[in-house]
Amino acid sequence: MAQVTLDRVEKRYGDVIAVNQVSLTIEDGEFVALVGPSGCGKTTTLNLIAGLLELTDGDIYIGDTLINDLDPKDRDIAMVFQNYALYPNKTVYKNLAFPLQMRKVKKQDIDARVRETARLLSIEQLLERRPRELSGGQQQRVALGRALVRNPRVFLMDEPLSNLDAKLRVQMRAELKRFHQDINATIIYVTHDQLEAVTMADKMAVMSGGYLQQYDAPDVVYNHPVNTFVAGFVGSPAMNLLRARAAREQDVTRLSSGDGWSVPLNDALASRVATSSTDEIVVGLRHNAIRLVDGAATGAVPATVYTVEPTGDITFVHARLGDAMIVFSVGPASTLAADDQIFLQFDQEHMHLFDGATEQALAR
Amino acid sequence: MVNHRGDYLYILPALVVMMVVIAYPIYFTIRLSFFDHGRALQFDDLEWVGLDNYRLLLTGAYSREFWNVTQNTLVWTVFSTAGAFFLGLGAALVVQREFIGRGIVRGILLIPWVISAVAAAYIWRWLYHSDYGLISGILTDLGLIDRNIIFLDDVDLVMPALIVANIWKEFPFAMIMLLAGLQTVPEGLNRAAMVDGASTWHRFWHVTAPHLKSVTLITVLLLTVQNLNSFTTVFIMTAGGPANASQIWVTDIYRIAFNRTNFDVASAYSVILFGVMAVLGYFYVRALTRGDSTRSTV
Amino acid sequence: MSAVESARPARARKRRKRDFWSIGGWIFLALLLIFSLVPMVWMFLTSIKTQFAAIEYPPQWLPKHPTLDSYRRLLSPSNDFGRDFLRWLGNSVWVSTATTILGVIIAVPAAYAFSRFRFPGRNGLFYSVLVRNMFPAVVFLMPLFVVMRTLDLVNTHWSLILTYLTFGLPLSIWLLKGFYDNIPIELEYAARIDGASRFQAFLRIIMPLSAPGIIATAIYSFIVAWNEYLYAYTFINSRELLTSPVGLRTFFTEFVTNWPGLMAAAFIMSVPVVVLFLVLQKYFVKALTEGAVKS
Repeated sequence: MAQVTLDRVEKRYGDVIAVNQVSLTIEDGEFVALVGPSGCGKTTTLNLIAGLLELTDGDIYIGDTLINDLDPKDRDIAMVFQNYALYPNKTVYKNLAFPLQMRKVKKQDIDARVRETARLLSIEQLLERRPRELSGGQQQRVALGRALVRNPRVFLMDEPLSNLDAKLRVQMRAELKRFHQDINATIIYVTHDQLEAVTMADKMAVMSGGYLQQYDAPDVVYNHPVNTFVAGFVGSPAMNLLRARAAREQDVTRLSSGDGWSVPLNDALASRVATSSTDEIVVGLRHNAIRLVDGAATGAVPATVYTVEPTGDITFVHARLGDAMIVFSVGPASTLAADDQIFLQFDQEHMHLFDGATEQALAR
Repeated sequence: MVNHRGDYLYILPALVVMMVVIAYPIYFTIRLSFFDHGRALQFDDLEWVGLDNYRLLLTGAYSREFWNVTQNTLVWTVFSTAGAFFLGLGAALVVQREFIGRGIVRGILLIPWVISAVAAAYIWRWLYHSDYGLISGILTDLGLIDRNIIFLDDVDLVMPALIVANIWKEFPFAMIMLLAGLQTVPEGLNRAAMVDGASTWHRFWHVTAPHLKSVTLITVLLLTVQNLNSFTTVFIMTAGGPANASQIWVTDIYRIAFNRTNFDVASAYSVILFGVMAVLGYFYVRALTRGDSTRSTV
Repeated sequence: MSAVESARPARARKRRKRDFWSIGGWIFLALLLIFSLVPMVWMFLTSIKTQFAAIEYPPQWLPKHPTLDSYRRLLSPSNDFGRDFLRWLGNSVWVSTATTILGVIIAVPAAYAFSRFRFPGRNGLFYSVLVRNMFPAVVFLMPLFVVMRTLDLVNTHWSLILTYLTFGLPLSIWLLKGFYDNIPIELEYAARIDGASRFQAFLRIIMPLSAPGIIATAIYSFIVAWNEYLYAYTFINSRELLTSPVGLRTFFTEFVTNWPGLMAAAFIMSVPVVVLFLVLQKYFVKALTEGAVKS
C-alpha cells in the first residue's frame, strides 16, 4: 500500500482542458472518492493515475516513485471498471489468474492466490463459469477479485456500482467499505453519486469543470462547502440556494430577495456578510435549516406550498418563496397540503453564505 | 502530446501493400494517359501528347466505338442493377417470413452469388448454347419455338441474355443487404399499422419501405459500381461480341490494351472511368457516413 | 352480439387479402428457387453425362446412362488431364490460402488501429482504403503488370497473392474495425493494468474476441482469391502455374468443347467455396451487412 500524490496534474485535448491543475494527496490506506457530475474530469484523473492516458503536465507519485512515464503494468495498481471489463472468453478462474500470469507468478502460487481470493469474496462456486453466465453482482465481485488477487499498492475504481440495481448497490456499498477496512487498502473511487462518496469515503474530492473544488472529509464538505457548486452538489435533496441583497440599516444587516422576503441577520452572519466583495449574497439552506413557523415569529417569510412528498419518516415540502422554489422537511405528522399559505424561518445557526460574485463561501 | 509513431506500425503493412498495388497503378495510369508509348511495352520511351489520347477516344478514331460501348454499358448497368435489386427485394420479402426450411432456402438462394463468376459464365454459356442449350430445348419441348434461339450470337438478344445471367449471379447480394435492412423495421410498428387497418401493400409502403431507404441507397450504389466494373461474365460468355454488341467499358479497355496494345488510349479510357467511379464513390461514402455509422461493406 | 357479427366480415376480408399476398409470395418463391437452381442442376446433370449424350438434340433432360467419368478423369493423377487439373486446384488452394493468411495478418492490426487510434490522417486513409474497390480490376491490370515485372514477379503465384491481398483488404479492414469498435476499450485497459503491454493486451484479449470477424473476413478473402479470373489469366502464362478458373479455358482449346468435363470442373471448383460459405454463412452475412443498415 502506498500514498498517491498528484501535483498540478493537467490533461488537455487540443484546447479543451479536461483536468486543470489538480493537486491532492491520498494517504496510505485512505479511501478517497473523486466525485462530480459527468464531464467534470474525475474519470480522466483516474485514468491518468492508471497510466491509461498520458499527462499533459504535472507529476504523479505513488509512494516516492514518480510514475508519469511508467506503463500501466508497471505502476502496481489495480482497477475496477464500471462495466467490470471481465474477459468474456475466459472463465472466472482465468480472469482472476490473468494478472498473476502476466506477472509470471508460479503456477501453484497462482492457484493458491486465486482460490484464496475467491474464498474471500465468496465466489468459489463460480470459478468455472464465464462472465456472461453471472449476475451483475457476481460480475462485480469477480472484478473486485481480479483487482485484489495480486495485492496492488493502489486500487482504482471507476463507478464500480453504477451498473447494479438499487438494492444490490446498497449491499455492495457496505461490502466495499468493509473490504477497505479489512485490507486497509489505498482506494481511489470515482463516482457521480455524491451519496456513495459521502457514505464510503474517508475523504472526498469534489470536481467540476476539470477543477478540484474541495478536498476534505465528507462531513466537512457537507457542513462547510467552499462554494455554491459544492453546496448544491453534495447532499440530497440539494441545498436551497437563494440570491439576496445585503443592506445595513440601524445596525442591523438584512438580506432581501427583492421578490417578497427579507430577514435580519444575527451578528455572526452580519460580520461575515461584511467580508463579501459585493452586496449580492447567495444564501444556502439545507432542507432541515428551514422551519415552519407562524407569521408572528421574527424573520418569518411567507411562502406557498407547491407539493408535499411524504417519504415515511420525513416529509419534504416544495414551496414557492418569492420567485424561487425551495425544499424543506417536516415531520411525518404534518398536515400541509398544496397551495397552503405558510411562514418559514431560516435557521441562522445552519445558514451558509456565499459571495454573490465569486460564489465562494464567506469566511467565518 | 501523445506519440503516434507506434500507432502507424499497425497500418504500415496495409499501407505498403495499398501503395504498391493501388496508388502506384493509379499514378501510372493517369500519367500514361497523357503520353504516347509507341508500340514498345517497356514504357521507358514516352512521348508527351497532352490530351490526344482523350481526343482519340471521345472524338477521334475510337469515338464511334466508345459511344457505342458507353451506350451498352449504360443498358447493362441500369438493367442489371434494377433487375438484381427488385429480384433481391422480392426474395428478401418472401424469405423473411417464417417457414420451415427457411434457412435452407436462404442458403440455396445465395449459392449463385458465391460460386465463381467464371463457373457461372460457363454454365450460362452452356444454358444458352445454340445447338444443345437447355433453354432452347425447353422452349422447343413446350412448343413455343420451332427453331433454336441463338442467344449469344444475335446482336439484339445478346445483351438481354447476358443481363439475365448477371442478375442470376447478383440478386442474392441485394437479398442479403435488404434482409438485413428488414431486420431494422420495428415489429411494433408493423403491428400498430395492422391494428390501424393498413393493408399489406400500405404496410410495406408506409412502414417497411422508409426503413429500407438507406440500405437501398447503399445496395443500389454497390450494384451499380459492381456492374460498371464487371468483366468476367461478359468476357467469358461473348468477349464483347457479336460485332461489339455486348462490349462494355471494362471489356473494351481490356481489348484496347491487350489485344491492340494501345495502352495509352486504354489509360485515357481508364481515367474517364476513374472519374465516373469517383463521383459514385463520393455518394457511396456519403451514404455510409450519414448519421454516425461508419461501418458497412465495400 | 352485433359486435361479433360486424367483426366477422371484416375478418373474412382480411383473411382473403392475406391469402392473396401469401399465395403470391409462395409462387414467387417457387419461381425464384427454380431460377436459382436450374442452372446449377443443369451443370451437375451435364457433368454426369457422356460427351456424346451431352450434345444430343433435343437434350436429354436426365442422363440415360449417368457416369462419373468426367470426375474420374479430372481427379485422377494417372492421365495428363487429371494431372493438370489437380495441379491447378493445388495452385488455387495455395494462392487462396496464402492470400487469406497474409490478408488477416495485415488487416487485423490495421483495422485495430483504425478503430482505436486517433492519429492524424486516419480518416483520409480509411476512405482511401474503401474507395479501392470502386475501381475496376482491368484498370489496374496493365500498371500492375509493369509493377510485377519490376519486382520480377510476373508468371509467379506471388504476383497473384499480392494483387488478391488488395481485393480483400478494404472489406476486411472495414469489417474488423466494426468488430473492434464493439469491444469495450476497458477490456484493454484492464489487461494493461493487469500487467500486459499494449501489444499483449491486443494479442491475448482482443484478438480472440474478434475471432468471428476474422473468420468472416478470411472466408471472404479466400472466396475472392479462389474465384479470381482476370489477373490469373494475365499474369500467369505457364500452363503448370495456372489457377483453376483459368484452367477451365483449356476445355475449349481442345478439338471440341468438352461440356461434361467443363461442367464437372466447374462443379468441383464450386464445391469448396459453397461449402465454406454455407457453413460459416451466419458470421459472414452478419459481418457484411452490419452498418449498412445501422441508420
